[in-house]
Amino acid sequence: MRKIQFIRSNTFLWALAVAATLALFVVGLFAFVYRQLDDYLIARSDRMVTTQINFMVDLPPDRRVRAIADHLQQDSRRVHYAGLFSADGARLAGNIDRVPAGLDLDGTVRSVRLDPPGATAVRGPIVRTVGRRLDDGDVLVLGRNVDETREISNVVGQALALGVLPAFCLCLLAGAWLSVRAQKRVEEVNQRVQRIVAGELRERLPEDNADDPFARLARIVNGMLDEMETMINALAGVGNDIAHDLRTPLTRARLALERGRTHATTLEQLQEVVDKAIAGIDQSLAIITALLRLTEIENNRRTAGFGNVALDEILREVCDVYEPIAEDKGVALGVLIGRGVQVWGDRDLLFEAIANLVDNAVKFAPSGGQVNLELESDDRTALVRVSDSGPGISEQEREAVLRRFYRSDKIRNTPGVGLGLSLVAAIVKLHGFRLIIGSAPGGRIEILAWTAGEGRARRMPVSNVGSRKREVDVMTGLTRDRLGAGTCRTSETEFRLVTPSLVACPSASRLIPVSRFGMWEQ
Amino acid sequence: MTRILLIEDDTETAEAIVAELAERSFEVQWAPNGVEGLDRARTSHPDAMIVDRMLPGMDGLTVVEALRNDQIRTPVLVLSALGAVDDRVRGLRMGGDDYLTKPFAIVELVARIEALLRRPTESRETILLAGPLELDLIERTARRGEREIDLLPREFRLLEYMMRRSDQLLTRAMLLEEVWNYKFVPATTNLIDVHMGRLRHKVDAPGEVQLIHNVRGSGFILRSHQ
Repeated sequence: MRKIQFIRSNTFLWALAVAATLALFVVGLFAFVYRQLDDYLIARSDRMVTTQINFMVDLPPDRRVRAIADHLQQDSRRVHYAGLFSADGARLAGNIDRVPAGLDLDGTVRSVRLDPPGATAVRGPIVRTVGRRLDDGDVLVLGRNVDETREISNVVGQALALGVLPAFCLCLLAGAWLSVRAQKRVEEVNQRVQRIVAGELRERLPEDNADDPFARLARIVNGMLDEMETMINALAGVGNDIAHDLRTPLTRARLALERGRTHATTLEQLQEVVDKAIAGIDQSLAIITALLRLTEIENNRRTAGFGNVALDEILREVCDVYEPIAEDKGVALGVLIGRGVQVWGDRDLLFEAIANLVDNAVKFAPSGGQVNLELESDDRTALVRVSDSGPGISEQEREAVLRRFYRSDKIRNTPGVGLGLSLVAAIVKLHGFRLIIGSAPGGRIEILAWTAGEGRARRMPVSNVGSRKREVDVMTGLTRDRLGAGTCRTSETEFRLVTPSLVACPSASRLIPVSRFGMWEQ
Repeated sequence: MTRILLIEDDTETAEAIVAELAERSFEVQWAPNGVEGLDRARTSHPDAMIVDRMLPGMDGLTVVEALRNDQIRTPVLVLSALGAVDDRVRGLRMGGDDYLTKPFAIVELVARIEALLRRPTESRETILLAGPLELDLIERTARRGEREIDLLPREFRLLEYMMRRSDQLLTRAMLLEEVWNYKFVPATTNLIDVHMGRLRHKVDAPGEVQLIHNVRGSGFILRSHQ
């Protein structure tokens, strides 16, 4: 099975193709060289016989027989043929039986068969031959066998074969090696992926050497796996949280109904029980509604409802809505607006986000405390800050508050669904703004927004420019470029990688978990 | 008698709505699907319609759109199990007059139907009257009989809305949507109650007949007739 896979593998097939091409090329080259050589040798030989026959033609007739005998005698390699025939075709001298048929006696060189004298059974070789009719009517025929070209060709062919065979084998070997190597890596990846599929979410693909495409692919996949692991873990948590948060009010409703059914004796008692049950069901419904809404915003890539939104106006309206609540609680709600500023966004969603923050702040500020709603802006950015004199969000909790349903143990008894900050985070993310959670004591949450023109520019597609993957810390709003392990730089500050999972942020003088860096495209 | 056409495919929901509305002396016709509903709407000219968004055969919004194309302007309340904001916007754009997400409290449905039936005509009046209350929309002043009521702008807006719809049940969701013009679910559930408490404190002085009534579990009513 393994062997078939290896032979079938693409790499190997490519190697085979390359080797075959090489072999074809070499054979072609050989044929070419052979042909050229052959042509050259024949031409040379033809010139030689022509010279010889001219020489013999010029001899006096009585010396010709002798010259032919000398000519043949000197030929140790037996490549020369010569014959002198009388006008009626009788052989006078030489080693040719008769004047070959098909030979023009005008001095042009041709390939004809020359039979040796007397031997009718043995056919002679085909030889480059020239014939001339002499002045006295005799016929002189001279030939030269050029079979040395065959020998030379053989030598050249052997040399090429000796070269091509190892090259072919080398190609096959290289192909086989590459193929086996790729197979091995694929097999390793496959094993790891199988482990991931089986539920081992922490498994990653091997990332060995620096810049080979396979390793780069592995890095890309690993990045994706990081994201997915975070998401899956979050989802798993959410599932448990939903179950818990839905069960609690439903259990209450069920208990109330059950008790009402057995114990209620009057209509009033029954109504009271039913009211309780309805309240429980309503709370479950509120949770589902909030969750659906959160999902809707998180998944909504469309920005159909976007327009220029006056942040100062929204701040004033939020303040207007929450002032009586704050007053009832004895909390002073102040709004400080530097100057009006417009951002690019969805008015309802931004109102909801800021209202949620103020709602929280009022909820957690102690009686007699203070909640401030501030708006600072310059040409490019607008900063909405909601601060309160409550306990704030401790360092340990900073990550957790953005999780769905997270409610600090200290505030378990405060009413609420626990989706508020997740919703704010989702809205902020949809707008491409940043959510910054300040350090305790005192609650401080900021939304860093881009002003209208700036925001639109930032949302423009940048695919032509080559968009750069950036990462943003959803808590601090700081972005960092991935420059490699150990260093990372942000637009605001520089990070130092302390451990594989924590980075130091000098401006905030604290450590941030790396996992909180969500992918961000800018 | 006010006639209402209900187009809803779920029998149990439909029966509950029909019973509840009949109890409040509405005459309710029920059509279980879009085609039949559209037919009834064209022939029987109801005063208001309740249309479910998801119907077998013909989508609820298609029914509304077809009616509007026929120049039938009957007020329509769209019901939907889809709560998405975009969906709501679409429902209203295609001719629905109000939109209610399932599951809903039956009082919310009734309140919204009543609001649709008694939609205030855009009057040119600059002074609103309701019982002893008088609201001057130009001078931005309010009085109860001889007594001047000093109102904050938001309280003025709230009172104006309530006076335009006096003797109607106004639910919290309706107030939030209409008075503040924002579609959101406040984390603080008694947000509207606090505002209403303020207003009531100013409108109903000690010793006076109470005008703003809290209907338990449902919403508020401004009663102009005692």
